[in-house]
Amino acid sequence: MTIPALASLLPLPVAIPLAGGVTAPLLARVSRRLTVAVSLIALTGSAAILLLAAPTVFGGRVIAHYMGHWTPVHGQVLGVAFAADPFGLLVALAAAIIGGILLLYTLSELGGLGRRELGGYACLFQLLIAAVIGAALTADLINLFVWFEVAALSSYGLAGFFLERPIALESAFKLLVLTTLASFAVFIGAGLEYAQHGALNFAQLHHALAGHVTAPDTIALGLMLAGFATKAGLVPFHGWLPDVHTAAPGPVNALFSAIMDSIGVVAIARLVFQVYGTGSTPVLGLLMTLGIVSALLGAIMALAQDDLKRLLAYDTISQIGIIVVGFAAGNPAGVAGAVYHLVNHAAFKALLFLAAGAVVHRTGLTSLSQMGGLARSMPVVAAAFVLGSLSIAGIPPLNGYVSLSLIHEGLQQDHQTIPYLLTLASQVITAAALGRAAWLAFFRPRGQDYEWRERLRPGMLTGLVSLGACCVAFGAAGPLVLRRLMAPAAAGLLAPARYASAVLAGSGPIPVLRVPFDYGSPAELASVAATVAVAAVLAWVYLRIREPLPVRALRALHTGSANDYAAYAVTGILAVVAVLSLA
Amino acid sequence: MILVNYLAAVALLCIGLYAVLTRRNMIKMVMGLSLMEASTYLFMISLAYRAGSTAPVLLNPPPGKSTQSLVHGNVADPVLQNFCLTAVVIGVAVTAVFLSVVVRIVQHYRTLDSDRVRDLRG
Repeated sequence: MTIPALASLLPLPVAIPLAGGVTAPLLARVSRRLTVAVSLIALTGSAAILLLAAPTVFGGRVIAHYMGHWTPVHGQVLGVAFAADPFGLLVALAAAIIGGILLLYTLSELGGLGRRELGGYACLFQLLIAAVIGAALTADLINLFVWFEVAALSSYGLAGFFLERPIALESAFKLLVLTTLASFAVFIGAGLEYAQHGALNFAQLHHALAGHVTAPDTIALGLMLAGFATKAGLVPFHGWLPDVHTAAPGPVNALFSAIMDSIGVVAIARLVFQVYGTGSTPVLGLLMTLGIVSALLGAIMALAQDDLKRLLAYDTISQIGIIVVGFAAGNPAGVAGAVYHLVNHAAFKALLFLAAGAVVHRTGLTSLSQMGGLARSMPVVAAAFVLGSLSIAGIPPLNGYVSLSLIHEGLQQDHQTIPYLLTLASQVITAAALGRAAWLAFFRPRGQDYEWRERLRPGMLTGLVSLGACCVAFGAAGPLVLRRLMAPAAAGLLAPARYASAVLAGSGPIPVLRVPFDYGSPAELASVAATVAVAAVLAWVYLRIREPLPVRALRALHTGSANDYAAYAVTGILAVVAVLSLA
Repeated sequence: MILVNYLAAVALLCIGLYAVLTRRNMIKMVMGLSLMEASTYLFMISLAYRAGSTAPVLLNPPPGKSTQSLVHGNVADPVLQNFCLTAVVIGVAVTAVFLSVVVRIVQHYRTLDSDRVRDLRG
């Protein structure tokens, strides 16, 4: 297939799930089976078209499509452009494929949904996936804002969808307040950029910003970064994330954590690397700080949780922090590691949330203190949870090992010793938190028997097994995945000029980037062993002591009041803008 | 004077933000967010303003101006006004969802006080 033909297919991966989402409530009036089938076909079709473009794009060529064929005139793009670079395509593919698995799982777990509910659920689900794919492929600032809002609206619906627990409403309210604040920040930022340069296309903005970045540009960058950081769940914009994940059912958690968060990360990476460039503002230092604070705070809060899903939600904050640290390293190893970890996080966090969801589904219990001994009665779920935890802890040959090693490598190359040590510390705490959870829920002996609720269905097992297989495959085939998928993605991010010229020309090559990776590096293996040993001791100690004072103080900061969380977010927005403008 | 617009936008933003940060009544928080939203519209429209300009419609130019002079010359920026239209549509949808969530919260918790609707914390 020729490149223009391939490029003209680019809107379809977004359009198909959108169409599927719109028709789902109508189809649900006819038949429930039909709704499920059409939704799955829509996501599969979207993934198939993305896969069609994959050989060309991962072969090192960015392809662009101009909506309505409004092709650029003298380097000016008037319409909206969609550009598939390896990074965007990778995220879009992950969203479509993991979204399909999650949809299969949900419709199996929530088999008892009524027709109207099923239609509404399938609609919101596909809208969210379409928004993520759109955000990953777009090369237009205001279009990015629109996808942000589409994702936000469908996430409000999904967060408040299951009303059996009133806390779902409470969490939806906090999500609404924080996301609305974030959308104002993004909106004003995008408007300021347009008013400054008369352009919305990433390539045009890149050229306009290449010479000099003025004060309004910096303020716009700060506002947009803060807005997208809210979507990604970075501290201090994270207030909504644990609450929403506590209240929603497992598959919705997996969707939010694994897929929706990546909108924020993708937008941050694009703005920082491909639009603004890293040289003219202290943005990498800012991202490093945000990342490390998120990684540490998320990990500590995860260690202290009693609710299984809330624990995993805080761990999401921590993992997104690690991803941002990788981007902030700014060198090939770090950026490739961050992209790799983003995809890995989608796989293992979806797996963990589905396992947690299965436990809740089966036993009706949510808090770790009431669980125990579940490994005997639910061996597959226990195995899935342990596999996911080992992936996050970075045990070879699972996927987390490869991405975390690359991020460590990136930090060490630039002699960023303190960030490196803090990242390691957050990993130790994360591993301890997940180990503690696995022990309390699955392996600890428990006296009385459970009141079993629902049975596990075949669709749920399929979901767990396929996500687990992803974790193993992306780890075992690490060097291959790195060379074929992750290195091109990092190359596209680190060669903004090539990306820009490709977006304006309709297609163009990006340079080949070689990211060396040694699977059996003794230093890295030793650090993994040390991490696991310290984490085991930490988990053992933490099970036996009273909650330490710093942890209690951190918990007290999470007051649960929407006003307080809004205040943290506004302070964060102001701080980000101030740091970028003044430093 | 366009400066008045900017000052009004900032004032609206601050009033809205004050409501969001200090009012515990959830309806008032939604009103505060709506005020902030209105301030972003005002800000965008003011950014689109050009002194002495006309509307960006090229057909039937106003007396004393030709189509050609409009193409090269002084018209208000239509793109920023389009942003506002987009954001107004999104804003209506968000406010609708917001208020329906608040209504359901009141039905469940029998209170509008956001401080008493915080089972999720820590």
